[in-house]
Amino acid sequence: MKIEASEKVKKGLAEMLKGGVIMDVVNAEQAVIAEKAGACAVMALERIPADIRANGGVARMSSVSVIKEVMQSVSIPVMAKARIGHFVEAQMLQELGIDFIDESEVLTPADEVNHINKRNFRAPFVCGATGLGEAARRIAEGASMIRTKGEAGTGNVVEAVRHMRTVTSEMNQVINSDEHELVSLSKKFGAPLNILEEIKSLKKLPVVNFAAGGIATPADAALMMQLGCDGVFVGSGIFKSGDPAARAEAIVLATTNFNNPSVLIEVSKNLGEPMVGININTLPEEEKLAKRGW
Amino acid sequence: MKVGVLALQGSFFNHCKSLELCDLDYVLIKRLSDLKSINSLIIPGGESTSMKIIEKEENLFFAIDKYIKKGLPTLTTCAGTIILSKKVIDGDISIPNIDISIQRNAYGRQNQSFEGDVKFLDNSDIYCFIRAPKIIELLSSDVKPIAFHNEEIVGVQQQNIIGLTYHPELTNDNFYLNWLKEYLKSGEHVGSF
Repeated sequence: MKIEASEKVKKGLAEMLKGGVIMDVVNAEQAVIAEKAGACAVMALERIPADIRANGGVARMSSVSVIKEVMQSVSIPVMAKARIGHFVEAQMLQELGIDFIDESEVLTPADEVNHINKRNFRAPFVCGATGLGEAARRIAEGASMIRTKGEAGTGNVVEAVRHMRTVTSEMNQVINSDEHELVSLSKKFGAPLNILEEIKSLKKLPVVNFAAGGIATPADAALMMQLGCDGVFVGSGIFKSGDPAARAEAIVLATTNFNNPSVLIEVSKNLGEPMVGININTLPEEEKLAKRGW
Repeated sequence: MKVGVLALQGSFFNHCKSLELCDLDYVLIKRLSDLKSINSLIIPGGESTSMKIIEKEENLFFAIDKYIKKGLPTLTTCAGTIILSKKVIDGDISIPNIDISIQRNAYGRQNQSFEGDVKFLDNSDIYCFIRAPKIIELLSSDVKPIAFHNEEIVGVQQQNIIGLTYHPELTNDNFYLNWLKEYLKSGEHVGSF
């Protein structure tokens, strides 16, 4: 007997990625640098978030040729982004044999009401969340993995921290609630009741939860791990920095040794310039990517 | 009695959960200093390429290799089994301790991952194979097949090492947990390292 694409198989790959760093890459050359630096997966995309932010325009799924090139260049899992609600981009990524699909707010949304019905897919999905309600809705739609949204392309970790703290604090409310309070919490958070019941009984999210959005230094990665994330996505933070290979490896080591300050000091030496950050308070509301998603 | 769980990257917390269900104490191993006083060892699944880069900071694998060669009862799953294989097709050799030739991602990408029947010792159950490797060849008579998926060998024993290509820690059935407890406890008699 052989069962493919079951929930367990989809969530299983996310379990294998834990404790690791998933790096944004725009071509095969960057993918190889990421793999050699110890990335547990790469995310193939056309432009990294900082460039999407700088150049503007509509950001879409990567070109098929870039995705294929990245898939051929490394042996680790390859993820790719589809626009929110763009189930045809997701169908194409699945057909290409991509290992994980990110239905991502970093790209320009294709549907301003609905997300992709991820249960229809054989490929596992990861989705961003700013709080428990959003995480639970994505899980109900079939996401096999959740990540904080953070504020991608800013090199500023503050939003990722806010989102992780919000998820944790709202999850604690659910876990510590009386069973009579669950419907009310479901209404309050906009979270499907059955997912909250599952969280209450497991005493944790039913899927792996990574940090993403604004992580630029080994210390940022360690901070997110100490806040309880299962692993880390790094986007612009690596290939917008002075020495991508060294910074990538340092962030990998920091993610493993997140609670060991002496290792964090050691790996943070001689990394060259980090990416230039953006103060999120100065961003106009319409440019905040974390607001995308419903 | 303490089990060391290699915790560089991968599904190590799932193995810790199995150990909690077995009522066994464990310690996460990230640095050389964590390697003190363990009676047995688990090397989990994950990405072997990531683990190899993280371990080289302190040459942790070199130290682990010595422990294994001294007889520490060791369980490896998926990427962990690749790390101990003597020959690796499409990958690098790390600390060869199991006389097998293994192929990384042998079934294909994630779209070929599956849950399948496994006959492990006297028991049959369904387990996950995630971008799993395949044991292509047994390279000596010291290696005994102990787990099968259809006709394929998916688990072997060589002296103090059990190497599996699938993920019992994602299922945690009673047969596995009972076996795990007995197997890891055998380290008590070997003495702590």
